[in-house]
Amino acid sequence: MPRREHLLKIGVAGIRGVVGEFLTPTLACSFAQAFGTYVGGGRVVLGRDTRASGEMLTHAVACGLLAAGCEVVKVGILPTPTIQVYVAATRAQGGIAVTASHNPPEYNALKLFNAQGLFFNTYERAELIDLYHQSDFRRVTNEEMRRVITDYESAPKLHFRRVLAHVDAGRIRARKFRVALDAVNGAGALITPGFLQDTLACELEAIAVDPTQPFPREAEPKRETLGEIAELVQRCHRDIGFAQDPDGDRLAVIDETGFVLDNDDVLALAVDAALRRLPGDVVVNLTTSSVIDDVAAAHGRRVYRTPVGEANVVETMQAVNAVIGGEGSNGGIIFPAVHLCRDSYTGMAFLLDRMAETGEKISTLAARLPKYFRRYGKVAFEHGRLGPLMQSLESRYPQAEKDRADGLKLLLPEGWIHVRASNTEPLLRVAAEAKSEAQVEKLYQGVLELFGQTSSVG
Amino acid sequence: MAVAASSSLRISQVGLRGVVGGGLTAAHVLDFASAFGTFLEPGKGVIIGRDPRASGIMIREGVVAALLACGANVIDLGIMPTPVIQHTIRRTDAAGGISIGASHNGAEWNALKFFGRNATYLSTAEANELLDIYHMKKFSFVEWNQLGKLRTEENALDPYLDELAAVFDFSALRQFRVVVDCCSGTSSLILRRMNERFGLGIILINEKMQGVAFAHEPATNRDMVALQLAPLMKPLGADAGFLFDADSDRVAFATEEGTPVSEEMVLPLLADYLLPRGTGKLVITNCSTTALVDEIAARHSGEVVRVAVGRQAAIDALSIYRPEQIALAGEGTGAIMMPQFRFVYDGIAAMLAVLSMMRERNAKLSAILASYPKYSILKGTVPLVTHRIPALLAAMRERHRDGSASVVDGLRVDWPDRWFHVRVSQTEPVVRIICEQRGEAPRELYETLIEQVRSFA
Repeated sequence: MPRREHLLKIGVAGIRGVVGEFLTPTLACSFAQAFGTYVGGGRVVLGRDTRASGEMLTHAVACGLLAAGCEVVKVGILPTPTIQVYVAATRAQGGIAVTASHNPPEYNALKLFNAQGLFFNTYERAELIDLYHQSDFRRVTNEEMRRVITDYESAPKLHFRRVLAHVDAGRIRARKFRVALDAVNGAGALITPGFLQDTLACELEAIAVDPTQPFPREAEPKRETLGEIAELVQRCHRDIGFAQDPDGDRLAVIDETGFVLDNDDVLALAVDAALRRLPGDVVVNLTTSSVIDDVAAAHGRRVYRTPVGEANVVETMQAVNAVIGGEGSNGGIIFPAVHLCRDSYTGMAFLLDRMAETGEKISTLAARLPKYFRRYGKVAFEHGRLGPLMQSLESRYPQAEKDRADGLKLLLPEGWIHVRASNTEPLLRVAAEAKSEAQVEKLYQGVLELFGQTSSVG
Repeated sequence: MAVAASSSLRISQVGLRGVVGGGLTAAHVLDFASAFGTFLEPGKGVIIGRDPRASGIMIREGVVAALLACGANVIDLGIMPTPVIQHTIRRTDAAGGISIGASHNGAEWNALKFFGRNATYLSTAEANELLDIYHMKKFSFVEWNQLGKLRTEENALDPYLDELAAVFDFSALRQFRVVVDCCSGTSSLILRRMNERFGLGIILINEKMQGVAFAHEPATNRDMVALQLAPLMKPLGADAGFLFDADSDRVAFATEEGTPVSEEMVLPLLADYLLPRGTGKLVITNCSTTALVDEIAARHSGEVVRVAVGRQAAIDALSIYRPEQIALAGEGTGAIMMPQFRFVYDGIAAMLAVLSMMRERNAKLSAILASYPKYSILKGTVPLVTHRIPALLAAMRERHRDGSASVVDGLRVDWPDRWFHVRVSQTEPVVRIICEQRGEAPRELYETLIEQVRSFA
């Protein structure tokens, strides 16, 4: 079966696609006009990451917003969390970030935010997509037309002030940490060096901090793509290294030995830092490591699990008034006291603060976490075959506790398996975790065998 | 006649026009600008600018997005008169340009005007190609890493003024006291800079640009001149007064005596000035323009070429002749093109030509106008029944067999001292009737014509 790539996707998550033939200015404009109609006019914040198509799409989005009667506040190139904080702080009616986050450079997308700078909930997103398809947009006259204003300065200040309220900046500054940064020439390139050097008094060695250049590595910050920063940490004797994705919501962390930490462990360290400071429970997605349960249990807190996707995690966090949450393997830390969104800046500040507080190396802090072994992969499936596959997986582990909130998660005494269909391609994402390497391999290979494959695809 | 906002949209060879929100939407703008980006020669710059209408901000965003998506590098002049946009296209050897603005229409309207490589409006063949691309909706959006870049250009005015200064002697025009009604439009940008650079003392009224509430309807006609400009002439001791539309491509004027002059007079006046000066002997105008222009052309051994009403016919006619054959082209609306400025409708250049004429003849404006014989024109409209129009025109031609007939645009019949023109409006569902006579108004002919057209309504 040929693998079909979805070069354009318009759905409850918004609009995303390959710029050119698929994601056109016309589509972006219409979608923005639907958004402007949905929020009922008023002030809308508009920012973007550094993608080559960002400028073009920003103009298309501004056109649609103005046509719907919105006043457009252009904030320029900024990380997504910074835009979200600004939306909430300035009492705008909503916000749009033109970014495809960790996707390759040919992609772009619109991330949509409500007046609180948060993702719309599932039901609101369905309403918005219906409105888009109905094309029944608000269309204002010349007299009702609002203006475009720009504010490139105040958003980072607002954001950083909020982050600093939850750490002891004095003790971080006193340590003069030696830090490395890889900002992937993304939105963080403009403000992260200042955050680390000026705000937190770190001694910085930075790469990929030119927002005019293309992404020098794969956009998603994960172990396989972070060779250069890992090498830099070692060579320049850094205490810690940070790597962001193009819109600065995701964070990867490199310890002082040049080892790229598991994103689940980074989240666990952040959860630990948050739970030490504030009361409340934890929300993570179903694929996030059990290490979170251990950390939460140590503080006597509860862990809620949600389907994969930032919006799902955020929705539950809001509902249970969680203190912290995130998505482990994706490198997303969500700390609502700063803002209810994935935020690499909160992550950086938390880790530096813990290092300053304990006087420990980051590798030592990570080593104290309970040890789990994980495997992730994808297998292709044919449309129509998914049901039988899931059933055979269930019957293979009759004793397992089952969670069907997002695909199928099987909780076993030795670990867990999570299998879910991708939203964008006819692929199954397979994740497994166990206490030992041998156990996780057995669980993972078991799934592949069952699905008639001996190795995972790309 | 007022057009309902919802049915205001017009997409034609001259571009895209409509009432914003009701007829003209963001989607139209995106599609039409994408079609233009597809139509243009790739890899070169595209010049854009707009008039001060509030909706221009929205339309500009859409135009920029569409052009960038087609791989064009966009040079944005911001709020800028149309003649300056056209001048910049030529100066920078751009692939073309777009002027965002509805010119003489009310503030609630907006439009896109498209210019090709030579900075003039598109020829009919080019315009048809653009329309075909628009209707097919097959746009050449480029790959993500081939997208165009946007930059702004701060000083487009000075090079434009340099070109005017090469033709007109600004220092000699300081002798005149000139008042201009900018009607909240873009002409103030040029005129203020002109005052600064050349030490002129042009007095501006309605100078502040407005996005929503224009000082008055931005049409260049006698009624609008009479409104605010003409009454100021005597109190200010002015030698001449001029009124521009929102994007400065049209002009109307008042004399030093405070008389508002018919917009029909701009073309004959400038024909009288330009015909004896250059090599060109042709005056290109449409079938509805005053016969005074024929009489003036005859004085200077010139010839009038009459084409169908509308910008498109004039543009096509210009391409038939060599530039040096042409003295000027224009309409009875105050829109004039001169070969010195490569056939761009330019109200500012027209004003400078009028002032230069006054200086060279050492005559007052009222005296120059008084030297022309009197012509009286009557205009009316009758609602139309579309399917009976051919029969109507045939019948009218039959009834007026004693005159010489032209069917270039509807029906025009000429007699030695009078003429009439009956045509179908391109913008409203009406038949337009115009008749003119040397001397007094042809009241009786007019009544007869109205009666004849009505009998087919």
